[in-house]
Amino acid sequence: MSMALRWGLPAVVVAACVGYLIYSASGGASEYYVTVSQLRSQSAAGDVRVAGEVQDDVQKSGGGLHVTFTEKDKTASIPVEYTGTLPDIFRPGITVVAEGKLGSDGVFHARTLLAKCPSRFSTQPYTQ
Amino acid sequence: MGAEASVDFCARSVGHLRDALPRVLGVSLAPAADAANMRRTSGVVILGYLGAGALLAGVVMGGFSALLSFWAGWRESDVFIQVGRRAFYAAAVMTVLAAVLLEVALLSHDFSLAYVVEHTDLSTPTALVAAGFYGGQEGSLLYWTLILGVLGAASLFASSRLGARISAYATGILAAILSFFLFVLAVVASPFDLLSVTPPDGLGLNPVLRDGGMLIHPPVVLAGFASFAIPFSFACAALLAGRADAVWIAHTRRFALLAWSLQTAGLLLGMWWAYHVLGWGGYWGWDPVENVALMPWLATTAYLHSSQVQERRGRLRSWNFGLVILAFLLVVFGTFIVRSGVVPSVHTFAISAIGPWFFAFLFVCVVFSGTLLAFRAASLGEASGPAPAVSREGAFVLQNLLLIGVVAVVLWGTVLPLVSGMFGTERVVGAPYYERAAAPLFATILALMAVGPLLPWRHAGRPVLRALRWPATAALVVMTGLFVAGVRSAPALVAVPLAVAAGATVASEYTRAALKRPMSILRRRRRYGAYLAHLGLVVVVVGIAASHFGQQEKDVTLQPGAQVTVAGYTLTYTGAQKRQLTDHTEFVAGMRFGDQTLEPSRATYAGLGGQALTHVAITTTPLADVYVVLAGTNDDGSASFRVFVNPLVSWVWAGGAVIILGVVLGNVGERSPIPELARRRIPITLPA
Repeated sequence: MSMALRWGLPAVVVAACVGYLIYSASGGASEYYVTVSQLRSQSAAGDVRVAGEVQDDVQKSGGGLHVTFTEKDKTASIPVEYTGTLPDIFRPGITVVAEGKLGSDGVFHARTLLAKCPSRFSTQPYTQ
Repeated sequence: MGAEASVDFCARSVGHLRDALPRVLGVSLAPAADAANMRRTSGVVILGYLGAGALLAGVVMGGFSALLSFWAGWRESDVFIQVGRRAFYAAAVMTVLAAVLLEVALLSHDFSLAYVVEHTDLSTPTALVAAGFYGGQEGSLLYWTLILGVLGAASLFASSRLGARISAYATGILAAILSFFLFVLAVVASPFDLLSVTPPDGLGLNPVLRDGGMLIHPPVVLAGFASFAIPFSFACAALLAGRADAVWIAHTRRFALLAWSLQTAGLLLGMWWAYHVLGWGGYWGWDPVENVALMPWLATTAYLHSSQVQERRGRLRSWNFGLVILAFLLVVFGTFIVRSGVVPSVHTFAISAIGPWFFAFLFVCVVFSGTLLAFRAASLGEASGPAPAVSREGAFVLQNLLLIGVVAVVLWGTVLPLVSGMFGTERVVGAPYYERAAAPLFATILALMAVGPLLPWRHAGRPVLRALRWPATAALVVMTGLFVAGVRSAPALVAVPLAVAAGATVASEYTRAALKRPMSILRRRRRYGAYLAHLGLVVVVVGIAASHFGQQEKDVTLQPGAQVTVAGYTLTYTGAQKRQLTDHTEFVAGMRFGDQTLEPSRATYAGLGGQALTHVAITTTPLADVYVVLAGTNDDGSASFRVFVNPLVSWVWAGGAVIILGVVLGNVGERSPIPELARRRIPITLPA
């Protein structure tokens, strides 16, 4: 067996396996990352992540474990409902990324809620 | 309000390159021009001027060193090679000076500096003020540059024994990298930018970062990142000089190990911090920021193994060059990703002007090292003779391919939003993608950890099968035990037994050595230190598997006196108190657990727009962590909690400590890092 074949063959086999793993895993697990307006304009089935700004109408119930609010970008807004612990910096005015499904009731049911910290290491954004 | 308002008015006096350059030049070359201003501010501002001047002097020294070293290396002029190296030392000294000045400015609360205002205030504890040095964009870059300068100088110190060319080219490459960082610091993102009005107080550190973890995690990660540059520089220098032997590997082995250890510690400290502070019950979220720290670690793990093949057998030469180069490129790529904000991440740095600069730097590094590798790799040659597939070197090759496979998986997941965004709607992948794609690769690597150390170099025969009986038995016993105990998750039933098999291999190797030649454990420290690191990794893997597959959680709202039971652990809510502190109010809930009381709390910082901060309460029992998060309190006295039971999380931290211990015991104080083979067989010197 030649040198190239000896080293090349396992490399090709491993590369093929890795390629297949990436392909099969990303097929099932990837989600669309959209803005509120994009979510409004298209009816995406399945889970999506939607980014937008939290509006002032935050309603908490269940001891802070259940929350509803409106998420808005420049042109569109959407009501969001979420159950779980809130990120620490969650409050009106910040940008959140909600991961979940748009229900037939027009409400976005979030499974997870990530607060996007404009800067991790600076307090600048909190200057009001 | 006062400080914040005034800072709002006084925007940074310097924003753009075109403004910055004349200022820096003017200030550092002619500070007297600003004499009136200096008198008015009673000489305090001078720190900023000195710092900017030191950075600029560093750029000049570094650039000089880079150009001179390349030229001197090409001409093989010993005198100028030395001059170039000393110019690098001078640039490193300037970096140290700038770092000291920034630290002095922070500790003396010099609020004329924008950086000091943005990251500290008068009420911040001194330790955190000092940590502000690497707490912000500009400071963390300076810290990185500092480590690069100091380690670079250390690596060049004894480099002349490698030969004139390789030493000179390594100096040149290190100096070029150092100059790039100093240039960005001096011109694009200077920590010494002045405010036009000096506010009475700073803005302070974000409460999330007011934590002990802040003191230790960022410096370790950043130092790890910075130290990858040293093996990279020597690898490229060896390629440039046409030296295909293992001498560059031997010379940079300590630095590669240091980079790897720092990165290991940095990753684990980051996980520890996230787990104790962020309150979501986990420690790894496959966020881009975590991914870009993981990828160079994986590449360097591969390199630390494959470099042995070159040292011992003279094989894999171009592969080793490729791995070291890949690790450094991944570091630069990660820095670009994290600091430019091109990929959606939960935690990004402030989007800043340095993104394009790092993109350009990445581009130059890719082109430079890619060209070098492409032109030189063909002529590197390999040791002759067939290499059987079933051998120690074969196991290393397979392990390397799998690790690079994991890098590919993580890289694809990280850049998918970028790539898909170019062709339509942005797509993202979450944890399920990484778990599905990387888990089979990790499982195979674990299996190799069990088999590889038992395989001899060159050729494996029948005795290997006999040696495998212990790990195989251990794996089967553990798998049966887990199944009988009620574990039905297939990944857990694969991962834990494989980890145990890898542990059994290490144990059998230690036993064999202890029975036959006990002194060899001390004499061959590198080998047995590495086995100890393997053992640490086994402990980490068991901890990760147990806490990942065995985690239980419950959301619950409780009246005082009520109980909740999660996974057999019972907690009793005893009531909440409100505490008013200087800058925040705090709700503290009491949870009785056995004879101790857990106090999860939730603080609100009025001064920061009502930002909340959760304090998780964690208690560690031998088998699991009980992890309580206070979600909120209600008017009727009840409180809502999220309770997690995380099995064996403490094993992750303990295993990490064992890994580092293994590396330290195996390598510290080793007298000659250049092994015999590397010194004796320097067979190939290509025409340069």
